Amino acid sequence: MSRRYDSRTTIFSPEGRIHQVEYAIEAINHAGTVIAINSKNGIFILAEAKRPSALIADKVDNEKIYKLSGCMVGCVAGITADANILINYARNQVQNHLQAFNEPAPVEKIVRQVANVKQNYTQYGGLRPFGVSIVYAAFSREGGFKLYHSDPSGNYASWKSICIGANSSSIIGTLKEKWTPDIDLTGAKNLAFEAYCKPCDVQSISSKNFETMVLTLDSDDKPLFQALGTDEVENLLKENNPIKAS
Amino acid sequence: MSIMAYNGAAIMAMKGKNCVAIAADTRFGIQAQTVSTKFQKIFELGPRLYIGLAGLATDVQTVSERLKFRVNLYELRENRRVKPKTLLSVVSNLLYERRFGPYFVEPVIAGLDDVTSEPFVASLDLIGCPMVTEDFVVSGTCSEQMYGMCESVWSPDLDPDQLFEAISQALLNAADRDAVSGWGAVVHIIEKDKVTTRTLKARMD
Repeated sequence: MSRRYDSRTTIFSPEGRIHQVEYAIEAINHAGTVIAINSKNGIFILAEAKRPSALIADKVDNEKIYKLSGCMVGCVAGITADANILINYARNQVQNHLQAFNEPAPVEKIVRQVANVKQNYTQYGGLRPFGVSIVYAAFSREGGFKLYHSDPSGNYASWKSICIGANSSSIIGTLKEKWTPDIDLTGAKNLAFEAYCKPCDVQSISSKNFETMVLTLDSDDKPLFQALGTDEVENLLKENNPIKAS
Repeated sequence: MSIMAYNGAAIMAMKGKNCVAIAADTRFGIQAQTVSTKFQKIFELGPRLYIGLAGLATDVQTVSERLKFRVNLYELRENRRVKPKTLLSVVSNLLYERRFGPYFVEPVIAGLDDVTSEPFVASLDLIGCPMVTEDFVVSGTCSEQMYGMCESVWSPDLDPDQLFEAISQALLNAADRDAVSGWGAVVHIIEKDKVTTRTLKARMD
């Protein structure tokens, strides 16, 4: 690679790439995995919250999955400090929309606004890009359940199921194989755990490391966010852990 | 004519035994003309936390929207509901930010603490001076009439039904002595496990 073209975001390399952005994307591949799967009756999100030390206090705050509004969550992978800035920005934008239009902010608008912030840091100012990929899961009356993903370059797209963070390429391979348009929520939960466990080292998987989120509709057809209980996580892990089969 | 009396309002909140009540008239008028009899002046900011806003109608709506903005962000960041006492500080800060070009509203807060379920009432002036009381708070164009009525009908430790009677009589009779208040009234009784909302049959004049 041409090393002399990678120290600034404001220049292209001869191959037409912005190396700083690619290095930012590379940083995310070392971060905790996030798997999000869209199904007919809801979205299931599985996130691995990496525990760098046994001394870290038991989880008080979320590290991966953040509520952005009554109908939207954002899941982050990458540099947590960078993520905090963007999550805060997204939450403020949601409230701005609510104040101006008196209606829930449409997810695509928020995704686009955050993506535009990220893009700024790839073109102006000489500052490094955000080392964060965000997966957005939302429900809206017009669009139903939607999944979006944006990366440090500021690109975003809507997805049927997505994985970011460590082992993302092999997990995406499993998802591509096994995801079907008529998968339901239970199928999505099992698929997420199966896809997660496949490339993983069995010893290090512990249910305490997971943050989960299920987005469905309640009896009044309003979006409902729930985390899975530890028992259910344990069960799903046991059922989908391939080593156990032998 | 005072800007605070342009639209007219009558709002009050009272403390009871393990409950609070908040009541308001529902008139929206432009000076002498009544435009609507179903105007919302009390807003819910939590399952047991309500704020009533008296004053210029446009500011009533804008302040409640701006407040909802701040409370939403608070709840997202802190991952819990805002306490009544904290809401008082948030409103105070919101209003004082406009110290030299204020919002023409005088809010009234009523709620039960999220954890202890202790009753709480408070009011503020238009530039954010907070006042917490142990009995009742009033706000609006007929505040003097409301003070008189509340002082007569309120006593400590009323149960929810007695509190409802007290606040309803106080509001109705005070508003009847004011040209720009009345034309309908709504009362919320906030208890530990439920909130009862009733519309009062008021003099429509």
